[in-house]
Amino acid sequence: MVDLLLAQSAFPEAMSQGVLAHYLFVSAAMFTLGLVGFLTRRNLIIMFLCTEMMFQAAGLALVAFSRYHLNYDGQTFVIFVLTVAAAEAALALALVVFLFRKRDSLSAEAWSELKG
Amino acid sequence: MDMIVNPVLLFLALAIGGVGVAVSVPRRKFQASLIGGIIAATGVGLLIVALGGASLARGEGLPSPAFHILAIIALGSCLQVITHRRPVYAALYFILSILSTAGLYLLLAAEFMAFALIIIYAGAILITYLFVIMLASQSRVESEEEGMAEYDAVGRGPITATIASFILLATLTVMLFSGINDISAPTEAEVARVQVEVLDQLPGKVEKVLHREDLISLNETVVGLDERGLSAIVESPDGGQRQVVLPPDLSATNTEGLAFNLLGQYPGTIEIAGVILLMAMLGAVVLARKFAQIDEEAKAAAAAALHESRPISGGHANG
Repeated sequence: MVDLLLAQSAFPEAMSQGVLAHYLFVSAAMFTLGLVGFLTRRNLIIMFLCTEMMFQAAGLALVAFSRYHLNYDGQTFVIFVLTVAAAEAALALALVVFLFRKRDSLSAEAWSELKG
Repeated sequence: MDMIVNPVLLFLALAIGGVGVAVSVPRRKFQASLIGGIIAATGVGLLIVALGGASLARGEGLPSPAFHILAIIALGSCLQVITHRRPVYAALYFILSILSTAGLYLLLAAEFMAFALIIIYAGAILITYLFVIMLASQSRVESEEEGMAEYDAVGRGPITATIASFILLATLTVMLFSGINDISAPTEAEVARVQVEVLDQLPGKVEKVLHREDLISLNETVVGLDERGLSAIVESPDGGQRQVVLPPDLSATNTEGLAFNLLGQYPGTIEIAGVILLMAMLGAVVLARKFAQIDEEAKAAAAAALHESRPISGGHANG
């Protein structure tokens, strides 16, 4: 198992297309699960948690492509994805706290009479 | 279109997975999370086995066993996140899925991103989520069913949502599995170039390794690599140059490569990220403040009210 953790780590050899397909499928499935959760759950916090799941799936696809093409651009972009995810979490949770104070509920439907 | 997996098998597996997910979404009367999970796992497992078979048939080998274990944990805990009725457990399962995704990053030779993911996501973002969940917790009754808020216990339109999402997944996978043959693999020259580009900027590291291996003497310095990256150009104090073949285990690490890519090729990224985080922080502070008074009139009125009430209440106007 030790050699799984890549003693020599910087892109030791090229990855095959078949292996890349595995990683991309996991990424797509994770994105879909996040989408199902975002559509079915009615708790605001869980809905934002599901958007984080979709971010994570996008990050996995980026890292897999970075590994396949043997350059670092994908990983650099994942840093940016993490930044946006952190900013989104901070703002979304502040909004959730604000809304919870107004209605004493986390339900998305508590705000269904908003206009516009 | 030439897909690497048989399309009939692909759609069958996706349909099974979709049924499993739809079954496990929380409902009013019952929750069949276990049954739904097993059905969904059957679908995903079928597809992974088909993918593995296709990969073997092309003579490309399978991903390591660790990939399969981590992928199962990641997708299983993602399913728990979207189906668990208690928000705290959903957040904890999301931490589990982040840890297994970090494991997948390690298998993809992206150690820096793996640990950044654990530190930022599991360490910071998810803990914030847990704090807010506990702050806004609804369950005042300890018993199982009554204590749960209605919006946590019942999902909204599971069938429609699952059908829509799995149509998206079917489109994505068809595109991926048919287009994957067209992605050009990097040639060996390009692989070597990636290494050389990074190592070329790290003469100190090359020098240290060559000293350790006793390939150069202590007063010689490394001035660069040759263009194929197989040997280092070494300069002695009297100005003479010679080439020394690099030891085969010398390579740039992921962190070094990522650092040169981030700061060398995209130097603006860090600044933009910093501005985004600053804006988010300001926005969060403004939004979460208890009494946000933005316009000047409201401020003046509040100040006047404070001024008036002070003599009466003896300086405890804020109560």
